[in-house]
Amino acid sequence: MRLEWLTIGFLVVTVGLVALTVGSSQAMRAALFEDLLSFIPPIAFLVAVRIIRIAPSERFPYGLHRSVGVGHLVAAVALTAMGTFLIVDSIATLVTAEHPTVGTVVVLGHVVWLGWLMIAVMALTIVPPVVIGRIKIRLAERLHDKLLYADADMNRADWTTAVGTIVGVAGIGLGIWWLDSAAALLIAVGILRDGLRNLRVAVLDLIDHRATTVDHDQPHPLEARLCARMRRMPWVRDAGCRVRDQGHVLHAEVFVVPRRSRVSQRTLARAGRAARSLDWKLQDVVVVPVEAMPEGVTGSRGGGGDPQTGVERS
Amino acid sequence: MRRLLACALLVPLLLLAGCGLQVPADPDGTLDRVSGGTLHVGVSPHEGWAELEGGQGVGREAELVEAFAASIDAEVDWVEGGEEQLMAALQRGELDLVIGGLTDATPWSTHAAITRPYLETTDDAGATVRHVMAAPLGENAFLVALETFLEEAA
Repeated sequence: MRLEWLTIGFLVVTVGLVALTVGSSQAMRAALFEDLLSFIPPIAFLVAVRIIRIAPSERFPYGLHRSVGVGHLVAAVALTAMGTFLIVDSIATLVTAEHPTVGTVVVLGHVVWLGWLMIAVMALTIVPPVVIGRIKIRLAERLHDKLLYADADMNRADWTTAVGTIVGVAGIGLGIWWLDSAAALLIAVGILRDGLRNLRVAVLDLIDHRATTVDHDQPHPLEARLCARMRRMPWVRDAGCRVRDQGHVLHAEVFVVPRRSRVSQRTLARAGRAARSLDWKLQDVVVVPVEAMPEGVTGSRGGGGDPQTGVERS
Repeated sequence: MRRLLACALLVPLLLLAGCGLQVPADPDGTLDRVSGGTLHVGVSPHEGWAELEGGQGVGREAELVEAFAASIDAEVDWVEGGEEQLMAALQRGELDLVIGGLTDATPWSTHAAITRPYLETTDDAGATVRHVMAAPLGENAFLVALETFLEEAA
């Protein structure tokens, strides 16, 4: 939370500084636009964090955890938009061979080439996003928060843009007019890739893709643990589960095939408690006794999927 | 990616240190060509600021341009024309400078590098007018030399 306010505060300062020195460097203008867009993920996070605290109600029986997923989608769209804009803009400049112009300013009575100031400002703006981004990635993994993860990606976009701008302005200084746009293009491709990856993950989670780790590389390990825990109960012949990601908590449906045709309510309640006690992320677990496993359920003995497959790699 | 960027940053800096290059530099070498040579100046007539009389520039801006040319050891070649025609010639690289009572509100910033305002005056309506000149786009060494001269002269 505080980290996000810090990010916003730092962004306000950055945008102010960059706006003062923007001139007509392609990379510099791109950096300004990018800074404006990077307000979106932290704001989305702060809004989502407020909303998920609202308890489930009749209107929202599942609670409002999905707001994190919506925030993730918003952040991903912001990243994608930024990458696309930068690519189009720098290609246009390269094609029209427009030479970037950077003049002078007067600082304390001295005439100074604006390029030096741009480089200084950009060098200053590299450090905070690197530090904040690292902390965020670690936090995102611990909190299982994909929105925060996307936001950390945005921080990486911030500092790589800053480095690219320095290269571009140095290029202008040396009379290599195309280096400015070429640097912007290189960075834009990286940002677009991050954006598309996040976009894909956000959409997949919103349409109830199997729960995965925050980087969407593997099925979430809790899924296998949950099934194994259920199967270990003496009255259970087979168990399988359906786990979806609500953004930062998981929602699980556990299907159990009992050994006998009757199961007491107490036994079921105990199974539910055992499931929830596995991890704080498993707040909403439903245990359903069934005759046979439904389709698309993982972790059961009679097929239904191996926990190591069924995840699209990104 | 990170290493690549680091190299991209380092190499020009090393080159710079090694060759003692001028920063900023002109992609088309305007300042080098003009110094000790000919400065091609387009004049869009504007009374009191820039006019041609017998092939010679007169007016406040024309005098500044003469002084600037002298400071880089250049002869001035004056060309008279309409603003649009001169801006197009500037963009094609046929002119090095365009004057004619231009202000910072000029719409030609896509065709030319507009200098930082070198002088502020008040017009008849009492509004502040910031005077500028037009240099070729992206010729940053030339632009810096001109702006530095104007800062000191005006």
